[in-house]
Amino acid sequence: KAVVSTQSTGGLRCDGRRPQEMRKLKCELGVSEGADGSAIVEQGYTKVLVSVFGPHECANRTARNHERAIISCSYNFASFGAAVRKKKMTADKKTTEVGVMIQNTFEAAVMLEKFPKSQIDIYVQVLQGDGGERCVAINATTLALINAGIPLKDYVCACAATVFQDSVLLDINNLEESYRGPLFMLAVMPQTESIVQLQLDHRLHNDHLDKVVRETIQGCRDIKVLLDRQVKEWTVEAAAAYEIKPRV
Amino acid sequence: MATRLSINEIRYIIDGVEQDFRTDGRAAEDYRHVELESRVLPNTNGSARCKLGKTEVLVGIKAEVVDVDVHAPHIGKLVITADCSAVASPKFVGKGSEALENDLTNILSFIYHSTETLPLKELCILPGKSCWQLNVDVLFVQCGGNLFDVASIALKAALHNTTLPKVRVSGEGIEMEMEVADDPYHVWKLDVSNWPICITLYQIGCSFAVDPSEEEVACSEGYVHVGVLPSGDVSSMEKSGAGNIDPTVLLEMVEVGVRVGEDIHNQLDKQLEAEKSLAKL
Repeated sequence: KAVVSTQSTGGLRCDGRRPQEMRKLKCELGVSEGADGSAIVEQGYTKVLVSVFGPHECANRTARNHERAIISCSYNFASFGAAVRKKKMTADKKTTEVGVMIQNTFEAAVMLEKFPKSQIDIYVQVLQGDGGERCVAINATTLALINAGIPLKDYVCACAATVFQDSVLLDINNLEESYRGPLFMLAVMPQTESIVQLQLDHRLHNDHLDKVVRETIQGCRDIKVLLDRQVKEWTVEAAAAYEIKPRV
Repeated sequence: MATRLSINEIRYIIDGVEQDFRTDGRAAEDYRHVELESRVLPNTNGSARCKLGKTEVLVGIKAEVVDVDVHAPHIGKLVITADCSAVASPKFVGKGSEALENDLTNILSFIYHSTETLPLKELCILPGKSCWQLNVDVLFVQCGGNLFDVASIALKAALHNTTLPKVRVSGEGIEMEMEVADDPYHVWKLDVSNWPICITLYQIGCSFAVDPSEEEVACSEGYVHVGVLPSGDVSSMEKSGAGNIDPTVLLEMVEVGVRVGEDIHNQLDKQLEAEKSLAKL
């Protein structure tokens, strides 16, 4: 099990990180001109592109809600994204599940009451997958919604973690995911520290739960700082085109 | 992606193309600025990202060792799959993109299926038994017209930087064994000097143009795909879309297609060579 941190590697993980160290995060807003809002987020080697369309008229009149907007989400993993090539399959159970998860997450975060009878589309395309794709997708969706000018109650930041030999490992990559330890994913609105989404796969001992939740929330807070920095940079750049100096 | 144009706008665009002065000031033979980035996907053997106007494409090539085709035991295989991502447009969610994807896959496969032009012999490992199969995945991240050309430019760039592990073949006869190298630096590159690119010429009014914008595509009737080799030869040709094309116009189209194709090959080769000097591999 030399995949994760061991004594012999000086407590470092397989990619040289310390247990609570997150991967390098790079993000960019407004990458897709055709979409109302878009963003790319890269955490380590995982790269996800999200496009947001809307709010616009509901495509399906029966699904229309008179009090608030509805969100429709689609999640796709590129064929060349994983180490082993994955043939494209429409309506794959796993990808549909992730789509629904992201939809539920943002139904809690977006101010849907502002747009009754409308629809907001969120399309997620995973370009490269190296672990934590769901989390990177959520982070990218937050940025894409901000880019589209859709009002949010707060940022939604997500982070995945696992526990190995009593220490919490944050922001796990593909290799670490594959060792079959507990896979804990948390999506949090950092300002209020309210948990929007929580998923746990495999077994996690009750004694570790509190620690994992605390560390992961901290990881999400750290992600928010980076996302916020990028949003402010983008705002200043975008406003400069109109010769406005926003207060950030 | 659906463009709604008024009759006057259509007339304006058609007149522009016929007078060799389009709405954005280009001549009928001019391409827009092409942005190309190589080796963007570390999980692949070769990759490229190409952006032209409002179209952006990601090409990833993954190689695997497979059994040879019974009808062609001495050559390797090339499988092209096109995928229109939902991020490009809400129309591409679920099965919405199937028609366009099939069209793209078929045309691109057609351009690249000619065994005489493509050096697929290089991909053969054990004649009659095993060969390399290059799985080319073309992902459209933004769709804004001229999809085929962008895809083929990205494809050529991706093929240019595709590295395949060296295979050591030992033994004789039935006992031939092959060993694929583990070392990431023990690789070889394909010879891309004879791979074609696709130039699509759209018939607009009585004239034709290359690299149309979305609005120009909406005004076009019928288009011709020409597969152009770096030598200036035509490797394949296909007419698509609804509309009739005059035979004399067709000959002119092919002529222009070849001219534009050769030019793009030259510029692309120059850029790819320049890139080589930057890369360490």
